Amino acid sequence: MHRKILLLACALVLGSCRKGEDMPATFYDCQYSHTDSSAANPEGGAYQAVLDDMVSSGVVGVTMSVYHAGTGMWTGAAGMADLHNGVPMKACNRSRMGSTVKTFTATAVMMLAEDGLIDLDDRIASYLSGDVIDRIENADRATIRQLLQHSSGIYNYIQSTAFQTASLNDLVREWGPYDLLAYAYGKDAYFEPGTDVRYSNTGYIMLGMLIEQVTGKPFHQVFAERIFQPLGLGMTRFAASDPVPDGIVRGYVDLYSNLQVIESTYFSGWDHYTADGGLISNPYDMSVFLRALMNGELINAASLAEMLTWRTESAPDPEFFPIAYGLGIFKIETPQGTAYMHSGDAIGYYANMLHFPDDGTTVVYAVNSNYGKIDAFVSTREAMERILAGTR
Amino acid sequence: MRNAFLLALLALSPVLHGQARPLPIAVSVFNTSTAVPYTRFLTTPVHPGVQVGTEFDHRVRECSRLFQSVYLNYFYHKHLAQGIGIGSELGYEHRVWRGLVAEARFGLGFTHTFTTAVEYTFSNGRYERKGDRGNARLTPSLSLDLAYYLRRDDRNAPKVFLRYQSWVEYPYSPDFIPVMAHINLHLGVRFTIQRKGSDA
Repeated sequence: MHRKILLLACALVLGSCRKGEDMPATFYDCQYSHTDSSAANPEGGAYQAVLDDMVSSGVVGVTMSVYHAGTGMWTGAAGMADLHNGVPMKACNRSRMGSTVKTFTATAVMMLAEDGLIDLDDRIASYLSGDVIDRIENADRATIRQLLQHSSGIYNYIQSTAFQTASLNDLVREWGPYDLLAYAYGKDAYFEPGTDVRYSNTGYIMLGMLIEQVTGKPFHQVFAERIFQPLGLGMTRFAASDPVPDGIVRGYVDLYSNLQVIESTYFSGWDHYTADGGLISNPYDMSVFLRALMNGELINAASLAEMLTWRTESAPDPEFFPIAYGLGIFKIETPQGTAYMHSGDAIGYYANMLHFPDDGTTVVYAVNSNYGKIDAFVSTREAMERILAGTR
Repeated sequence: MRNAFLLALLALSPVLHGQARPLPIAVSVFNTSTAVPYTRFLTTPVHPGVQVGTEFDHRVRECSRLFQSVYLNYFYHKHLAQGIGIGSELGYEHRVWRGLVAEARFGLGFTHTFTTAVEYTFSNGRYERKGDRGNARLTPSLSLDLAYYLRRDDRNAPKVFLRYQSWVEYPYSPDFIPVMAHINLHLGVRFTIQRKGSDA
């Protein structure tokens, strides 16, 4: 009897293991082409060594683009795109870019301001109403500029322990904007609008709603029409229309901080429908976007100057670079010089894009694994310094 | 941690063997969720669990009872983990009205969890599929029960109960998520069986 119970328990534990999806290697083929001079890049070996070092430390897979005015664009990859099917990562593979989308959101808002459809110093309450304004502290007084610069003081829903446990409880749930905003309802604001800066995803959800209110279109359609398509970003899309598109690399999380990862490709449902996350792209496209933005190809010089007007936080994170906040972009001082940057997380994915204004060098990298011990190799100050030291 | 598990079994064995007749058995099914305790009641999606245990009394009075429980349980949290647990609770039962009683339980358990997905382990510079040896956690808990004895003056009568339990897993993810909180909602029954053998 005891043996039967033991066998039943073992079968229960062992038999309930979720397997990975079988995918042919062609699933990860890239459907775009550009002139690739990576093989001839004299620094290519050094760049590749950076990626190989990340993978040998515990990153599952990584893609990177490095652009220098003198040597042009280099793209490379290391590690695996799909562990279950044994598919190596390719430089062109698309991945989740998480909060890097905020720079796109800010760019779209700046375009609407240039069109005369909004004024950055208008209150967001002039465009949105209902619970978004009534139940979120400071929302009635915050301006569009303050939302862009994270100076509204509005509570960041992602910081809510209730949200964090709820998202873990239903890892494949798809969250709409109001589902997420509800975690900011009734929460104390961090400070009076305009008196400090502190990162808030909530504000960027509201900016996505603003774009939709003003244009009458889904905000991601505005991204596609005014940014993706004009720049020819063939591997870039927003998750809402197809949250797990063909060719997206599998994501992995080190949930228990022991470099034992599980697949998380379908776990980013809070990152699919709101303008604070949800971007899917690759480092090549992201580099094209960031350089076009900084070169004044997307917005005019006056708008760019407003984006690059900085405010510093009163309580910087002692473990990261001191951050100056622009409109949808940050400035940090690295050992390699001043960089404009934005990074982003999704569950199982991390991306970072950096632009050095002194010479135009642009570095973008994306990994398909995060959390736990892996973050130390991709997103900490030490990790960024190590990566930048090898690329600049 | 395997030693801790064996020690826990040894510690519980006198309780199991020393139980006087009749032997109470408590069986419950429960829904577990990662959630902040006392912020939610019934959560979805349902992540099922089952628990079996017994109890022995420390002190019995007309309207109250102080007791110890021991239990074994299993839960399956879809996409996240499944766990097997063992533990003990110190409980206080108070008769509210007729057969209706309220209980509070403080517990300490040991749970071993296994991922419900294929796990890849970093080894020799690459990820490989290896057997999942799982993760060991302590699970301190606090439970509040509302229960009803089907025969109000008989403490050996069958009792149905609804249990709102909060437990935390510790350590959960060192240097990342130190503690993970759960809400478990149990629906169960406690009944007694007559033991045939003599007391140990």
